[in-house]
Amino acid sequence: MARSPIDLLQGTLDLIVLKTLSWGPMHGFGVARWIQLTTRDALQVEEGSLYPALYRMENRGWIKAQWALTENGRRAKYYRLTSAGRRQLTAETEAWNELTSAIGRIMTARRQPG
Amino acid sequence: MSRDGDDRVPVWRRYLRFWRGDATGDVNDELSFHLESTIEELVAAGMTRDDAREAARRKFGDVAGIQRTLYTLSRQRERDMARTEWLDALTQDLVFGLRQLRKSPAFTTVAVLTLALGIGANSAIFSVVHSVLLRPLPYAHAERILTLSERNGQGSMCCLPFGNFYKWQQGARGFEALGATWGTRPWTMTGQGDPTPIATVLATAGYWKAMFIPPVLGRYYSDAEDREGATPVAVISYALWQTRFNADSNVIGKVIVLEGRPTTIIGVAPSAYILAPPAERIWAPLAPPAWRFNDFGDHELSVYGLLEPNAAPRTAVRQLEQIEMPLAREHPNMGYDGGVIATPLVDSVVGDQRTRLYLLLGAVSLVLLIACVNIANLLLARAAARRGEVAIRGALGATRGRLVVQMLVESLLLGVAGAVVGLGVAFIGVRFLVTAPAQIPRLQDTSLDGTVIGFTLLLALVCAVVFGLVPAIRAARLDLQQTLRDGGRESRGVARERLRQGLVIGELCVAQMLLIGAGLLIRSSIALEAVPIGFDTHNLLAVPVSLPQSRYKDPARAENTFQQMEAAIAAIPGVASVGRTQAAPIYSGGWDWTALREGSNGHDDGSTDSDMRFVNPSYFSTLGLRLLRGRAFTVADGPDALKVAIVSKGLALRLYGTADAVGRRISNSGAEHPQWMEIVGVVDDMRANGQKHEAPRELYMPTTQRLNGGYTFLVRGKVPVASLTPAIRRAVASVDPLVAPAGVSTMDEALDRTLAMDRFTKWLLTLLGGTGLLLAVIGVYGVIAYFVTQRTHELGVRLALGASGRSLQWLVVRQGFVLGVVGVAIGGFLSFAAARLLKTLVFGITPHDPVTFAAVCGILTAVAAAASWVPARRATRIDPLEALRSS
Repeated sequence: MARSPIDLLQGTLDLIVLKTLSWGPMHGFGVARWIQLTTRDALQVEEGSLYPALYRMENRGWIKAQWALTENGRRAKYYRLTSAGRRQLTAETEAWNELTSAIGRIMTARRQPG
Repeated sequence: MSRDGDDRVPVWRRYLRFWRGDATGDVNDELSFHLESTIEELVAAGMTRDDAREAARRKFGDVAGIQRTLYTLSRQRERDMARTEWLDALTQDLVFGLRQLRKSPAFTTVAVLTLALGIGANSAIFSVVHSVLLRPLPYAHAERILTLSERNGQGSMCCLPFGNFYKWQQGARGFEALGATWGTRPWTMTGQGDPTPIATVLATAGYWKAMFIPPVLGRYYSDAEDREGATPVAVISYALWQTRFNADSNVIGKVIVLEGRPTTIIGVAPSAYILAPPAERIWAPLAPPAWRFNDFGDHELSVYGLLEPNAAPRTAVRQLEQIEMPLAREHPNMGYDGGVIATPLVDSVVGDQRTRLYLLLGAVSLVLLIACVNIANLLLARAAARRGEVAIRGALGATRGRLVVQMLVESLLLGVAGAVVGLGVAFIGVRFLVTAPAQIPRLQDTSLDGTVIGFTLLLALVCAVVFGLVPAIRAARLDLQQTLRDGGRESRGVARERLRQGLVIGELCVAQMLLIGAGLLIRSSIALEAVPIGFDTHNLLAVPVSLPQSRYKDPARAENTFQQMEAAIAAIPGVASVGRTQAAPIYSGGWDWTALREGSNGHDDGSTDSDMRFVNPSYFSTLGLRLLRGRAFTVADGPDALKVAIVSKGLALRLYGTADAVGRRISNSGAEHPQWMEIVGVVDDMRANGQKHEAPRELYMPTTQRLNGGYTFLVRGKVPVASLTPAIRRAVASVDPLVAPAGVSTMDEALDRTLAMDRFTKWLLTLLGGTGLLLAVIGVYGVIAYFVTQRTHELGVRLALGASGRSLQWLVVRQGFVLGVVGVAIGGFLSFAAARLLKTLVFGITPHDPVTFAAVCGILTAVAAAASWVPARRATRIDPLEALRSS
């Protein structure tokens, strides 16, 4: 695949991250792994591009960061969803569903345009 | 420290950032955690560590680029947080301050009202100062306009002779335009409703060039229209256009009859041309008759010059003097000495109001100063009561800076509240001030505009810092442990008391200065109003009438008409007698007339300035002016009879010393061909220009021997004379129905007008002095009452040890008395130094009038002692047992 996943996912990346964090606080590495596992490597997100998204969302108040220890005792920065973030997730999910169903209707159309 | 749910950041979290790592460190830690986790994962899957590092980097993407982006994003976040924190702190301080102020409504109300009075009074006076003094004049090139006059020895003369003006106009260099106006006269306008006299200004075409503001409609007149024999044109004022012409846009080209001549309206001048009422006005070309160009003696014209853009005023004036010098040599004894005096227009418009207004502004800011001191004192007393609270806040970690800011925020809240209420006070104040009975130019435009509101807010800010800073700093300098151990009670009261006493002494000083200012003006006005004017002003009505020149070209016919009117008025029941003169005393100065004694060459003491009036035979008896020698005029002194004159005592003394003036001959030294007149009588002096001015030397001539012009009838009533006005109007109309008197008023009203500004200043300053005194009394009372409260224990002990109530009372009153004496001593000294500022405003007394100083010193000391008497009585009622037990 030669297409650039970042361009395609610019708006969608936020949605994915929010959805990931809705399961509970997680560090950046965990978010990257979770996306990889869930999509079974279908989405090739450059892992580095996650971080600017995380920082921007933190500046907007959708998520909050906090340093804490991992299970094996290392210091990591955990992100969790704020209530503003939760509202944002709901809104973006709806928008996403509308978009996909609209595109779905186009892709399954049986009539010729015109 | 795991927290969840709540998004509101508690206060202590603000201090987190002090042990939170720096932003770049955080970014680096986070990225290396990610990379290392990936590497470990790959190594666990069987890769070598080096390969894994390479693979992890590839998977991550542009590490350095992302790092930079993250630095930027986190710095941005830091900034946002700092701002939020700052806003949070401010909101907190505001909320806390509001709560504190609400908790003590009595304190808040007193402080806000005191401040509102002080600030409001300041804003009101400032808005007048702004409107009258500071606002630029409306003319296009106001900064280049000069008023020009001739020098007369040391001072400047009122007006320029026509001859001199036209010589200036021909030869002047450095001026873009020279303009002149020739007084204001009530010209009758007919053809637009009832015949009405309208204030008409005769102005040269150059006037419009020098004082240019674009016309509302039409145009101004040109030099060609400003010539004798040109078709009459006129410019009307905006207000006249609105009221008499219904703002009709077709007014241009309309022909009205002005002073009997059909006149075409060519323009409407904007209302900015009106600096003082009346707003309904007409401007007509001066169009001087040919003979006026050779008149170098009759001082008539007010002259304005518009300097060329880069011309230096001094040079331009020098060049005028080059023209003026030879004129002064050719025409000696006309008063002018060849010098020219130029004044910036704004100075000549504002005139002597400047001193007065700045005096009031100074006085009103002193009142505000007292108000601020009072509030500072209240805050100090409050700070004492809040020591416990402040100590606890300090102990919980609030820095001194934060405590000072917190206190200042409270002061600012007071200041802003004071400013808001103060604007209300200012609104009322301005409405009162614009009704000032005196004619102050541009006063009528005073309003609370943006500048004034800005000034008010700035003032409130300054005040808040002035009265808030000292108490705030003192409160923040608390010794925490000591205070907490004392349970928040005062332990170092002496220094605090000193400060409060110092503030009260300052207050008394300022009040002293205000009261002395008011006292001086009161004394001065008593002296002024006691000056005898020289004639009986009561029940005397002034009725100005002018006849249209076009229909009354023949002087004899005009005089005849005036005599008929005089007779018609005299015939009205209730009229005692009717005098007539071309320049009624108090209303107007007599004409400039250089009197020449027969036999004098004009260069010795045989010539002198005098005020000349044409009067009818019954003038002196109507006014009640005493005839000292000889006779009054009679009907026999006709145009063809011997030319006669009557002189005032002062003029006779100046020309003839103690010798008898009657029978001597006198003339005008300015005339090319002296016309000699025989003096037939000497009358008493009178202060014809008002009580402030010395009696002028008067020369009287019979109306029958005058060429032409308007007159004012002076009607003495047997009944209240104002009630005769309708009958007098009818009497005038019965002789010529197209003529109406303009602006009828009583002599007493006119006299009041000359004193109005002085009275107004006096009352305003008295009001301010009274306010200052009241505030100072409150200050003294507060300090003494506080003294008694603080010393309750000590006073109780004294009582228990057998001190009498009377001696305790004296102990307390003495405190107030000492404050009073010290305050008055310093205040007296300061007032003495400042009093000379009043030099131009006081009359008949020196600005260091001992009576005023003594009276004010006495009053203030007594008042300070009296203010401490109330708390002193409370001291005597202390129950010793109660006082001892409570400690």
